[in-house]
Amino acid sequence: MFKILYLFFFALQCLLCTSSTNAEIINTNVERLLDLSSQLVKTTIKISAEETTGKPITEYVFLVGEPNLSFISLKDDTEKNIQLRKNKELINGEQSYTIIFAKGSPKKSFAIETVSSKNIRPHPEEIEQNDKQLVRYNGRLYVYSKYKTVVQKTNVKLSSANILSHTQVKPYTVGSNKINLGPYEDVEALSEQELVIHYENQTPFLTVNALERTIELSHWGNIAIKEEIQLTHAGAKLKGSFSRYDFQKEGRSDHSAVKSYKTYLPASASGVYYRDTNGNISTSNMNLVRDFIELELRPRFPLFGGWKTKYTLGYNVPSYEYMYNDGNKYQLKMHLIDHIYDNMVIDEAVIKIILPEGCTNVQFSTPYQISRRPNQLVHTYLDTIGRPVVTFSKSNLVESHISDFTLNYSFEKVSLLQEPLLVSGFIYVIFLFTIVLLRLDFSITSHSHKE
Amino acid sequence: MAVDIGGGVGSVASRAKGLLTWEKQEHLLRLVILILAAVLSFATRLFSVLRFESVIHEFDPYFNYRTTRFLAEQGFYKFHNWFDERAWYPLGRIIGGTIYPGLMLTSAALYRIMWLLNITIDIRNVCVFLAPFFSSLTVLVTYALTKEIHSTGAGLVAAALISIVPGYISRSVAGSYDNEGIAIFCMLFTYYLWIKAVKTGTIFWSAMSALAYFYMVSSWGGYVFLINLIPLHVLALMITGRFSHRIYIAYSTLYCVGTILSMQISFVGFQPIQSSEHMLALGVFGLCQIHAFVDYLRSRIPKDHFELLFKTLVSSMLTLVLVVGTLLTITGKVSPWTGRFYSLLDPSYAKNHIPIIASVSEHQPTSWSSFYFDLQILVFLFPAGLYFCFSKLTDSNIFIILYGVTSIYFAGVMVRLMLVLAPVMCVLSGIAISHLLAKYIKSVDAGGAAKPTDSKRHHKKLEQQTGGVKSEVAIGFVGIITMMLIVYTLHCTWVTSEAYSSPSIVLSARSHDGGRIIFDDFREAYYWLQMNTPEDARIMSWWDYGYQITAMANRTILVDNNTWNNTHISRVGQAMASSEEKAYEIMRELDVDYVLVIFGGLTGYSSDDINKFLWMVRIGGSTDRGAHIKEKDYYAANGEFRVDKEGSPTLLNCLMYKMCYYRFGQMYTEGGKAQGYDRVRAAEIGNKDFELDVLEEAYTTEHWLVRIYKVKDLPNRGV
Repeated sequence: MFKILYLFFFALQCLLCTSSTNAEIINTNVERLLDLSSQLVKTTIKISAEETTGKPITEYVFLVGEPNLSFISLKDDTEKNIQLRKNKELINGEQSYTIIFAKGSPKKSFAIETVSSKNIRPHPEEIEQNDKQLVRYNGRLYVYSKYKTVVQKTNVKLSSANILSHTQVKPYTVGSNKINLGPYEDVEALSEQELVIHYENQTPFLTVNALERTIELSHWGNIAIKEEIQLTHAGAKLKGSFSRYDFQKEGRSDHSAVKSYKTYLPASASGVYYRDTNGNISTSNMNLVRDFIELELRPRFPLFGGWKTKYTLGYNVPSYEYMYNDGNKYQLKMHLIDHIYDNMVIDEAVIKIILPEGCTNVQFSTPYQISRRPNQLVHTYLDTIGRPVVTFSKSNLVESHISDFTLNYSFEKVSLLQEPLLVSGFIYVIFLFTIVLLRLDFSITSHSHKE
Repeated sequence: MAVDIGGGVGSVASRAKGLLTWEKQEHLLRLVILILAAVLSFATRLFSVLRFESVIHEFDPYFNYRTTRFLAEQGFYKFHNWFDERAWYPLGRIIGGTIYPGLMLTSAALYRIMWLLNITIDIRNVCVFLAPFFSSLTVLVTYALTKEIHSTGAGLVAAALISIVPGYISRSVAGSYDNEGIAIFCMLFTYYLWIKAVKTGTIFWSAMSALAYFYMVSSWGGYVFLINLIPLHVLALMITGRFSHRIYIAYSTLYCVGTILSMQISFVGFQPIQSSEHMLALGVFGLCQIHAFVDYLRSRIPKDHFELLFKTLVSSMLTLVLVVGTLLTITGKVSPWTGRFYSLLDPSYAKNHIPIIASVSEHQPTSWSSFYFDLQILVFLFPAGLYFCFSKLTDSNIFIILYGVTSIYFAGVMVRLMLVLAPVMCVLSGIAISHLLAKYIKSVDAGGAAKPTDSKRHHKKLEQQTGGVKSEVAIGFVGIITMMLIVYTLHCTWVTSEAYSSPSIVLSARSHDGGRIIFDDFREAYYWLQMNTPEDARIMSWWDYGYQITAMANRTILVDNNTWNNTHISRVGQAMASSEEKAYEIMRELDVDYVLVIFGGLTGYSSDDINKFLWMVRIGGSTDRGAHIKEKDYYAANGEFRVDKEGSPTLLNCLMYKMCYYRFGQMYTEGGKAQGYDRVRAAEIGNKDFELDVLEEAYTTEHWLVRIYKVKDLPNRGV
């Protein structure tokens, strides 16, 4: 029943698409680079489009064509004044974006980058300790497009030369760790053909299930950053027992188990701590590499497929690098999320920004859409009315999402004096109290004093 | 520090001139010394935090920490009614009714107060720093107690001595979050208030001491010592003919209020009127009434009448007490003497009768060297202090003498009770040092007496010293005392830093090139359990690790450090000591999912499960169901316990052996030795090639210190 309905809508949509919009646009050349060398699917598609009737192209509808899209952007080197707009309706059950050109011309070429997660799955799903991790990618052989494509080809980059099988539609060539598919000619609009590649991929399949990043601001010159991270090895699950003997004997680095990974911190970070609920995790190294700090984090135990861990990483940075002010107006510019490991995937991130006490007029802008959560108040050291907290969340994040947010607020500089006054006032009261107390006699009976 | 005080009290004060009067100078000096001693006592306990991190130590503290966290998060009523299903599977444990809650309540209260003041400190840090904080308070209380007993000078010296005495530090370093940490403070505080009550004879002070006693009862089982010592003091006062209305008021109030209060602790319950450990207090209370009554009669009736009455009264009372006592003991109303108490009186009792008590190292008798190690010069100063107390006998001196003599006996019986001895050692040594210095320092001053003295009081003091010694002798003597105190300071710091500041949860060793290696395997294993096993997984391990597993891995365990159920522990011991098939039956019966063993053969960590194994065999064999497990089966032909080829086949095929040495036979551990060389036992293991049938290795930590095995399911039918 549903199938029929679906088919009906499908047909309807096709009809709508072909009839109403510019059916005259065709893709003259499409080149796709499919990077499957990590756990992410990174795609770069170069499209040359042409209006057959010679009319200028002002809008081009791009179909994503793969699930779990994390990030999409237009590549910089193409022409300026070009915009990407997300369409609300799905086309053929696929998300679509409309590219809007400021200057229309009959021939256009541009490049789109997409990153998606969780499209490469371990196959088999369970392996033994010394087995290699094999994965399978299920995608589309042809670039999914609303328009007819004259010629297209796809270069697939893989992590190793060990390719077990792949979809064999001629012409194709297989290199050491790459597959070139195509060129395929005259591909109809919305044509679908499955692409399956089964190959060895030993890169870490780590997923951050939950990230809670807290940025605590102080007007005394410090910004404290704390990240609580829950991590899972999402690759092939470990089957059977774990043998420490074999693990130590092997000592290979290309093992699918994750012994350690690198996190990059800002160069000015200091007071770094790496701990969990049981205390400090003593196995980590810190190196200063030119303009950032490289932190080699080793979880308490190596992460095999399906194993989880959870930790807290925190550090301080001086506020002058991130905070600007003009009179009573302040601005904070910082990374929304920061690097955790290469090719990272974050399922859900919650970011909390704790502002100093007495901040008002908080305005907030982000480079991409986030979902705001209600504001809170926290009370900590030397607080009276509490510090405002801006909280928001975002799901399905990748490395490309590391970019700055801007936060504007106003703050009376006089309020800076509140905390020192509070402390000195408190001490003063204690002394005063003691002085008074020692000079008064509270006894209920009257007994003679010696002096 | 101690040196400062030794030489400081007299000389600095005498030289100081100027604006302040004598009293104010003395007051200031006293304050400075006390504050310094309190700060020092806090600071010297921080070695482990500085070297490692702010972490809870050892085993029992982990339980205390876990319960404190629960209390801080869930509130008192939930805590009081808490049934802990994570421990003692499948029995569980009623936490509220089986612990002394004083420690948890103290830290939870501190935690709440600080949060109220917006000091958002972590509960773990409150727990870690609680013991050092209370030792600072102990310093102040020691000063007050010694001042009451002897003099201000003695109080200051005693305060300085106790701030760094290793016998007390051993139980109160930062992270050592145990009952003893606050109990010593409570105990000394109760003593102080008791002495106050005895001296003044007011209800106020004795009621205060009853409150302090209540705090003590709520925090440590060692309150039994206190409730026997105070009646003993009263008894001694009666015998020496010092009984008076003051004592009567003090003791009667303390006993009545204290007993009623102590019965509010659910773990104590009706023990104060039932168990034999509390009978001395009850008896002395009765005796007090009789004594007072007799005194009253004596003042009212003629002498010969009185004597007749007295004799009849005494004999009839004794018979009555005897009959009632026997009856109650027979009917079981008065609980039989518990094993731990017997081992106090007869050190060999536990070893012969209760293996589980004997297996705990801190229940062993104290060796002579550890007296010197923990107390150093105090050992020699203690008799001197006793002598000075005897030479000027007062009500309060008798108390401190009794405290000293009884605690030195108990400390000799059980290593753990060194803790009770340390404070009285400090008090008595403080008295001795202060007494001697006060005598000789005057002569030192007299030697250089050319200085004009402004103060009248000081002048008077100089005049008083008749028959003083020559100044050279005095200088020599003061020098010797100073040297001794310097050596004491150095010794204490050294002992604290070397012996008592290791968290034992993180181990550290030196590598060949002098670098520090950290073995963090325990936390590695516990965290692995927490992260990668099902929420309700049941873990079998020897009871030592029970508290740590529940606190750090948050998993259900079968037995833990609260060794109340001997048969259950014995069952685990039997599983460890049996062959694989038999152990599998036991493990199925106990619903075990994972088994955890500690193995030191690779790193040379000597307190591992193989070295504890004989205790498992003994405890396992001590119940009916484990009758087939005999200790002698596990010894080699020549009667030794060996793990190499010579070892007994029963040992080489038991579950514990197999779990520890699984695949160890392939490892090279030390240069020039064969594969499978055990570095703790210094032997090549005897059984190398074997596979496990009913278990599979689930996790082994980096240095093989902790090995975790998963119990396999029953095989499918037909396979």
